[in-house]
Amino acid sequence: MKALILKSGLYLLLTLVALEGYVRVFHLTKDYPSRYVDVKGVEKWRPNQSGFSVTGNRRQNFSEYHINSSGFNSYREFEPTQDAVELALVGDSFIEGFHQNYYNSIGHKIETHLPDVNVYEFGYAGYDFADELHLVHAYKDLFDNIDYVFLGLKFENDLYRDAYHVLQERMKLESPLYKNLRKIKILTYAQSIGLLDPIRNAISHILNLSAKKTTSTTTQHKQHIEAEAHAKYIENFKTLITRYGYDKDRFILVLDTAKTPQIFLNYLKRYNFDYVDVSEDLKASKRPTTLIYDMHWNNHGRNIVAKCIVSYYNNNFTKK
Amino acid sequence: MVFNSLGFFIFLPIVFLTYWLVLKKNLKVQNVFLLLSSYFFYGWWDWRFLSLIFLSTVVDYCVGIQIEKHSNAKTRKQWLWCSIVFNVGLLAFFKYFNFFIASWVDACALLGYDIKSKWTLRILLPVGISFYTFQTMSYAFDIYYKRLKPTTDFLGFAAFVSFFPQLVAGPIERASNLLSQILNKRTFSYEQCVSGLKLILWGLFKKVVIADALAPIVDDIFANYSTYPASTLLMGIVFFSFQVYGDFSGYTDIAIGTSKLFGIELMSNFKFPNFSRNVAEYWQRWHISLSTWFRHYIYIPLGGSRAGKLKSIRNIAIIFLVSGFWHGANWTFIFWGAFHALVFIPVFLMGRNTIYKHTVIGQSSVFPSFLEIGQVLLTFAIVSFSRIFFRSPSISDAFAYIGCFFTNPGYAPYQHPSGYRMLDYYILIAVFVIYEYLIRKDERQPFKFKYKAVRFIIYTIVIMAMLLFYDSNIDRSFIYFQF
Repeated sequence: MKALILKSGLYLLLTLVALEGYVRVFHLTKDYPSRYVDVKGVEKWRPNQSGFSVTGNRRQNFSEYHINSSGFNSYREFEPTQDAVELALVGDSFIEGFHQNYYNSIGHKIETHLPDVNVYEFGYAGYDFADELHLVHAYKDLFDNIDYVFLGLKFENDLYRDAYHVLQERMKLESPLYKNLRKIKILTYAQSIGLLDPIRNAISHILNLSAKKTTSTTTQHKQHIEAEAHAKYIENFKTLITRYGYDKDRFILVLDTAKTPQIFLNYLKRYNFDYVDVSEDLKASKRPTTLIYDMHWNNHGRNIVAKCIVSYYNNNFTKK
Repeated sequence: MVFNSLGFFIFLPIVFLTYWLVLKKNLKVQNVFLLLSSYFFYGWWDWRFLSLIFLSTVVDYCVGIQIEKHSNAKTRKQWLWCSIVFNVGLLAFFKYFNFFIASWVDACALLGYDIKSKWTLRILLPVGISFYTFQTMSYAFDIYYKRLKPTTDFLGFAAFVSFFPQLVAGPIERASNLLSQILNKRTFSYEQCVSGLKLILWGLFKKVVIADALAPIVDDIFANYSTYPASTLLMGIVFFSFQVYGDFSGYTDIAIGTSKLFGIELMSNFKFPNFSRNVAEYWQRWHISLSTWFRHYIYIPLGGSRAGKLKSIRNIAIIFLVSGFWHGANWTFIFWGAFHALVFIPVFLMGRNTIYKHTVIGQSSVFPSFLEIGQVLLTFAIVSFSRIFFRSPSISDAFAYIGCFFTNPGYAPYQHPSGYRMLDYYILIAVFVIYEYLIRKDERQPFKFKYKAVRFIIYTIVIMAMLLFYDSNIDRSFIYFQF
């Protein structure tokens, strides 16, 4: 029995080492860029890092990212001037674009359509509207040199807060423990393919055993809760634009009206907030617009979004 | 609890270590522990159905003693019938009741009587009922035929009936093999445990990599067959053949491997059926524990092949029909059984039903002959074709599936429902077939290679393949649980 336990342990260890080797050699899992909070209190990627983003068990999506000196994934540096025409795209992982090669981003696609325009992409996974407005506010001098700022907004996800503060939960990922764990590639691979989900679910199930069970609600009750949440999100929107400022002449929201409640769209219209609607073009596409393994836009989806912004730009703006 | 779940990977080491480290000195306590572990394992699904296992155990334990007690043939037979009626009754109620009612209503409708049945019940099918009822019946049969003495150790007998590695999907053990091992002292064997762990690894590979990876493709093709060309439909049946084989033989390997950890050897259930050279050989290699059950307890008592050609044909037809019906309460299974009877009988009449009993393809050579390749492909084609009935939800769907080969002949590239690259699956199947060919002579030793380093590399490749094809979103239960 002792021999069995010892040899099993040894084999387990050797197997893990071998698997670590396979995952590294075939680059089966993603690299994690490190993040930080800069002197202005903005959470972003540490400048000048490169790596690869991988999705799926068998590298179904494989792309390269490059974090520039400003801390965002882009093929270019952000050096806006008064003379050139410049656009900024501010948003979450959809703008960040780790799922496509960094030289094939939405910003780059827009530049192809508008050769005289420079596009800067301030994308960061998990950014909500508070993050976005705080970023623009914190880097006011930089953004003042940019002619138009497109802000990605997903109504149901991005308006939970009415003020920006650093999310400690996210920054915990930079703790030495997480950093060291991420160095074990087989572990990050196992996590990314969902192998660790049963363990995580079991732990949360055990932890929730003592918690109160939520009672099932009626449709009416759900609608009531939803209406309350929507009202709160609109209030948060108002508070955020008051707190950090919002230049209606230069700022344009990018949203999917099919996923945005009418009450918010009415509010935007009533108070003259401009927005680019990407829903119709995405919906009209005969080909899939998102990755198969992931809800992020694929190359085709990003082409459509870029065209929507280009079309909006051509229809509405001239150089000031 | 399923073998490929987190729960089982916690359960198994705890039971294993307690069994050998804490309780190894006392056989009785070990058996009680096995019994409780097995009831826990089964109760994880639905503890209410434990009562059925317990009832079946009590009935057959008493029946065994009664059969042995009486020397009068008539009385012995009456007691045997008690066991048959009880176990088949359980099956009839839980598995076939609604089928009988629905078939009766359909038959009346055919004759012009419109009956609205109020008899259909919402009955849950207890997992593994077809397996453990057959196992307990075999005990009564064996005592009746005087092949076995009944045990007076009720707890040992209960542990035999509910032995968790093979409780829910077999192999359907005979008391002469399993009960005798449970009633006798087991000793820890390092070699046996290592061999068991290897089988568990190989079984998990077949389940996770072959069966689970092909399942979404097969589900998609069988659900949308009318939209696909013949090339895709053909791929659907070939993939289903590999899926069901990977799923069921994977389960069996894990069951046999797990039993080895407890010092118990179960019978083999699969011997590379995909390399069968005719349909008769296929049935000597596929679900062996069920085929031999039918052979021992139905075919031979009916006269077997010694009662003249016509009766033999009748007996073959009966066992295949019963085998089909055993699989499920649906005409598709009966049709599947009938189809196999039709393709088996010519082989039987030609006297070729046992010619491959003791050999495998490429018995004395590295490569198979062209003749063998042809035979294997033909047998695989026949068996795979029959699985259209096995997999389709209804007879009409099965025929519609076949009809689509003619209405939509031709080829079109198939897109995986989740968008994965199909080439991965073609390579996977090819490599699997080649590997199985390499190990074809011993189903108990999937990693029989001379050098340790080679074995280790293969272990790691097998585990890596499991990760590469693991899908956290799919239903991971085993196909044969529904039977």
